[in-house]
Amino acid sequence: CGFTPAYAPGGPAEHLQGAIRVAAPSDKNGFDLVERLEERLGRPEAARFQLAYTITTKPIGVAITPENAVLRYNLTGAVDWTLTDGAGSRVAGGKVESFTSYSATGSTVAGLTAEEDAGYRLMRILADQIVMRLLATSGRWAG
Amino acid sequence: QDMATLIANRVSVVGDDTLVAEGAVEVLYQGRRLRAARITYDRPADRLHIEGPITLIDGTGSFLLASQADLAADLSEGVLISARMVLNQQLQIAAAQIIRVGDRYTRMSNSVASSCQVCADNPVPLWEIRAASVVHDQLRQQLYFDSAQLRVGGVPVFYLPRLRMPDPTLKRATGFLTPELRTTSGLGPGVKVPYFIALGPSRDLTLTPYLTAKSGRTLGLRYRQAFATGQIEVTGAVSTDDMRPDKTRGYVLATGAFDLPRNFKLDFNLQAVSDPAYYLDYAVSDQDRLDNRVEISRTRHNEYISGRVIQFRSIRAGEDNATLPSLIGDFTFHRRFDGGPLGGEGGLRFQTHSHYRTSSNPLDADLDGHADGRDLSRVSLRADWRRNWVLPGGVLGAVMGEVSGDIYAIRQDALYQGQTTRLDGAAAVELRWPWVSTATTGAAYVIEPVLQLVASPRRLAPLPNEDSALVEFDEGNLFSLNRFAGSDARERGVRLNLGIGWTRYDPAGWNLGATLGRVLRRTDPAQFGPASGLAGRSSDWLAATQLSLGSGIKMTNRLLFDDSFAVTKAEVRMDLNRDRYGIGSSYVWMLADAGENRLTDTSELYLDGRYDLTAAWTGKAATRYDLIADRATNASLGLEFRNECLAIDLSLSRRFTSSTSVEPTTDFGLSVDLLGFGSGTKAGPARVCRR
Amino acid sequence: AQGANVAFGGLKVDSSLPVEIESDQLDVDQATGVAVFTGNVLVGQGELRLSAATVRVEYDAEGKAISKLHASGGVTLANATEAAESSEAVYTIASGSVVMTGNVLLTQGESAITGQRLVIDVNAGTGTMEGRVQTVFVPAKKPAKQP
Repeated sequence: CGFTPAYAPGGPAEHLQGAIRVAAPSDKNGFDLVERLEERLGRPEAARFQLAYTITTKPIGVAITPENAVLRYNLTGAVDWTLTDGAGSRVAGGKVESFTSYSATGSTVAGLTAEEDAGYRLMRILADQIVMRLLATSGRWAG
Repeated sequence: QDMATLIANRVSVVGDDTLVAEGAVEVLYQGRRLRAARITYDRPADRLHIEGPITLIDGTGSFLLASQADLAADLSEGVLISARMVLNQQLQIAAAQIIRVGDRYTRMSNSVASSCQVCADNPVPLWEIRAASVVHDQLRQQLYFDSAQLRVGGVPVFYLPRLRMPDPTLKRATGFLTPELRTTSGLGPGVKVPYFIALGPSRDLTLTPYLTAKSGRTLGLRYRQAFATGQIEVTGAVSTDDMRPDKTRGYVLATGAFDLPRNFKLDFNLQAVSDPAYYLDYAVSDQDRLDNRVEISRTRHNEYISGRVIQFRSIRAGEDNATLPSLIGDFTFHRRFDGGPLGGEGGLRFQTHSHYRTSSNPLDADLDGHADGRDLSRVSLRADWRRNWVLPGGVLGAVMGEVSGDIYAIRQDALYQGQTTRLDGAAAVELRWPWVSTATTGAAYVIEPVLQLVASPRRLAPLPNEDSALVEFDEGNLFSLNRFAGSDARERGVRLNLGIGWTRYDPAGWNLGATLGRVLRRTDPAQFGPASGLAGRSSDWLAATQLSLGSGIKMTNRLLFDDSFAVTKAEVRMDLNRDRYGIGSSYVWMLADAGENRLTDTSELYLDGRYDLTAAWTGKAATRYDLIADRATNASLGLEFRNECLAIDLSLSRRFTSSTSVEPTTDFGLSVDLLGFGSGTKAGPARVCRR
Repeated sequence: AQGANVAFGGLKVDSSLPVEIESDQLDVDQATGVAVFTGNVLVGQGELRLSAATVRVEYDAEGKAISKLHASGGVTLANATEAAESSEAVYTIASGSVVMTGNVLLTQGESAITGQRLVIDVNAGTGTMEGRVQTVFVPAKKPAKQP
């Protein structure tokens, strides 16, 4: 049913490793997103494509106890991304969304690191979703 | 450019110095445009005698309609008869006579002002302000009404000898904002009347007196200032009420962000509240742990630097601030770079952390698992490296590893007093084999099995685990060398992370993403609690799905369940958005876990919905239901009216939670906003006149 | 600052005054009594001057007095203060009516009026421009006054 290994010779993503330069981040979320994208796609070497992104995140309180203590937060996040080729024309893009969660019970230090780890994991999930979409559409532009 | 242009179908020169233009006459002068049926230009008097229908449009988006007029040749001043002035395509002022004076003032005598749509079959607007005269000052963008009378549906409801209202194009001006009625069980019925004071172009102050029947006296304050390199905002309130008789209560919150040289950034967030219940009694915020935070940071492509100090104060019932870390200092320097001769991608992170508890009791009297008075400082250095290879058959292989060294200095803790040095590391091999369907158009599919073998030492120096006590297991750390959030704990032993990802991606149609994963360990390191999903030799199954349908449905779901399908943790967020209605919902289920200070299971459903009853009326409802306690935590109803000239917001909410410091409370709010006077509220759809 | 406020006198002249015509060349057709002046034709009547590339003159039945002037090839009608240009013009002496057609431009001090057809009554000094007329004029500047 038309499946081929993406990175195999002749496969759509054969030349994808190291081909994409990700735009510089301006905050911790951006830093984590770029780190994961470079882990999956390799550091840019003579990159033929530029990946630009805008990140939005929002914590929402859930699991509120009868004494009105917020035990847990969902950190929702979305990345609008566009991939442009050397000539600057858009070859792929879209919006990826997801959420991670962190508890706020226990000590303040535990809550603080849990909150920051939730942000770190959310950026890695969104980066992995972008890589999945790059693989899915690579046949159309990564040739 | 002081030439005026006149265009017409016919221009005749009559007598010595009058010029008569007829037929679709237009006069253009310095951005002003006049359209009329007939204009006589009297040259010596430099006047234009104009016969309608007349339209006079000036550059600022407002225009005048009239049947007859006598204006100066530069259209700056003169008299218009039975005229109508429309400001910002919104506010209409009809008047028997409009006099334009000195290119700045427009005086309208016995006028009617309204921004409501008026139809032939029903000429009475929803609201109107009748006035003996209205003067519009174009420079100061103000409207001055003399003996103004507010009528609703034609019925006079309010009279003011003098009234000043902002012109719709005015962005900032000192004056009253929309008042709001509010009734709560704790404060009784009351009214909020905000007054905005513009202090120059970059500063403003809003004072909001809030008086209620149950002797509630509150003065709210908001001060904002913008600087060349940043801005600050201070909000606060001072209150006296019956809930805390003869006690002055209140809060203050200051936030700010500044750009520093060499593109560093400064952010601060400082807050203080007089008593724990204040935030909830006055619906300021539902934060139950106040943090005062000052941070300087810089982020670049390969570098992240952050230095911060945080002071925590819990206002949560039953928490003692003395035994919680209340002062925290962190510094992080993280640099990423090319692998050089090794290739791939490397990283180096230097980090210090220290926290301080006011208590100095080295024992754990409050049985929270940590010495009551423990103060801790940590210095850490971590190096990591990773490299990808494309192996035959399209397998993407990766080798990765990290080495870390930590020095802990712990005081006032009977168990861990003193200095401890810990060295740790992890190495892993990862194999990914993504298959892609090569359909060039329509939906594209990706299947990606992933296998990761990780090994790290089985024994480490004993340390108290405080910053890694809360463990989460999701697709973000399924393939991670260390799933603990902080540095106190590190995953031990040899484990195999298995997973398979499946994606259907169709930008035009529906998208589905799914991940299934599990962690298999050689031996059980007994590091994880029951609710983490990572306990035992083999972890729970992780199943995450994400669905988005073209018809506005979005669902993200994550499940942790064991081999017998007993669910450890489940979380769902689902949103349905259609133009006439929308539903948002979230559900969380978690097993109890003493290690995470949660002694009972958690099961909570949240629902909110909106429904457009008519083009103008929208109904809203929301509730949060605790399935374990089998009762609602809070519920709210809302009714919103929006048309082109009126905005009404009606809200009723009930919070059922109660504790030693907080009573259940009902909150009812009503605000009415006349649109068209430069208010921030966006206008709704205009009424359509039936032909 | 904008110069004298010139009275808009209109192109006014007594159409019964004698008319002189000069030109480089004159052809007369005895049969029809029509004379055609060509080459820098200049027609004078009182203070009024009409210049054109060619002017065809029609005489009245007795063949003595001029009844109509047909000017074409770019016509300029001017007196001491105003000027009107167009591609053609017809001057009916008896009625004192001048009809100018084709990209008519009437200038007068700083004001200018353009249109497709200009009908002038030289005796009354009135004129009517038609056909998407466009005129430019200078409104006098006045200091802003309080209401």
